[in-house]
Amino acid sequence: MSAGILLNATICFAITISSFAFAWVLARDGSEHNDKSKPALWSLIVLWVLVGLTYLPTTVRMIAASIGNQQLDLLMYYIAAVPFSFVSVPLVFFILYVIIGDQRISGYISALFVLFGAAYLAFFYSSGVIGPTITPLTSLFTINSDIAINIYLIGLFVIPTAMIIGLLFLILLQRMPKRLRYRTALPLVAISFVFDFMLTDMITLEDTMQLAARIFVLIGTVQAFLAYFPPMNLQEKLGIQKYESSLYEKDDGTDFDDDEEADINV
Amino acid sequence: MMGQTLMMMKRLISMYEDIDVMLEQQVAEFYQSLGIHQGPGDIQYRLILKVLGKNEGRITEFSEIREYTDRLADKGSIGSKMKTIFQLEGLAEKVKRGGYIITDKGITASNFLKDTTAFYKKNKRMGEIIERMP
Repeated sequence: MSAGILLNATICFAITISSFAFAWVLARDGSEHNDKSKPALWSLIVLWVLVGLTYLPTTVRMIAASIGNQQLDLLMYYIAAVPFSFVSVPLVFFILYVIIGDQRISGYISALFVLFGAAYLAFFYSSGVIGPTITPLTSLFTINSDIAINIYLIGLFVIPTAMIIGLLFLILLQRMPKRLRYRTALPLVAISFVFDFMLTDMITLEDTMQLAARIFVLIGTVQAFLAYFPPMNLQEKLGIQKYESSLYEKDDGTDFDDDEEADINV
Repeated sequence: MMGQTLMMMKRLISMYEDIDVMLEQQVAEFYQSLGIHQGPGDIQYRLILKVLGKNEGRITEFSEIREYTDRLADKGSIGSKMKTIFQLEGLAEKVKRGGYIITDKGITASNFLKDTTAFYKKNKRMGEIIERMP
């Protein structure tokens, strides 16, 4: 049993737990969001659930690799490929809905990514994989289909990533309050982190790169959590806290503005 | 000959370039909400300048201005605005009884007004994007 693989399994488990927890918290607070943001919210919840569902079998896979059970390792790799190949669907819906605001068009275009995902899975399952190659840090498989890798790179990776970058630039190039900028840009950076490193994780043939990618996925998940629920000291440090007027009223009930108004001679 | 054709084409384009009173009102309300009650935040100013700008190089009849402003303001206040703002500041010149022509300064003001509409649209679009972000 290698300590490196166990560390890898722990990271995968941490990603699973934090993604599910984040999805659950988002769903629980769903009523606080307005009707216009609800479709985007639910796509975000689905996205995090799919991230969790990808890393849950991966955790089992790492444990199986550490105890030398190659059959379970392979089975879990095949299972993890299913949620993974559809991660881009809610992501594309989320970005398109936020930009264009049309649920139907966003739905149609994201349905196209269901086809990409299904095509990837079809080639992936029909061609099979080579492996596993067990290293001190992880267990690696090689996808035995160039077409699957191409679909994966172009359909599942390049287009959604370009969409995230586009939306991010659209937001960053606008002059807006710091609080809003934080609230809108950080979730996108976090999603981009998770999405891109998930893809790196799945395609890489280097064990250290895979471990690093998983650490970054975990960082991305924590970052997403901080984007939605920033702690008070972080809010103060960044100057993004929401002031409530009741906190700034004088105890005796008098208002400074009243004094100033009294001094003005009209 | 060429100049006349160009002039004709310009007139034709301006005839079809209709003024969206509702949009202008929304833009004015937006600027009022920012504390700007005059200029871009004044619906009367916006509509008068829009009509004058539309008729660049031609005489604008007072009745033409009133076609757009009647549902929002009375004849007197529009006449007063023409005199106290447009004529006084040199944005328009009175060329005959009830006939005005936009000046170069007025064209500058008209271009600025177009920018304020563009800013409103951009801001609204961004606001909607942020609203849709969960």
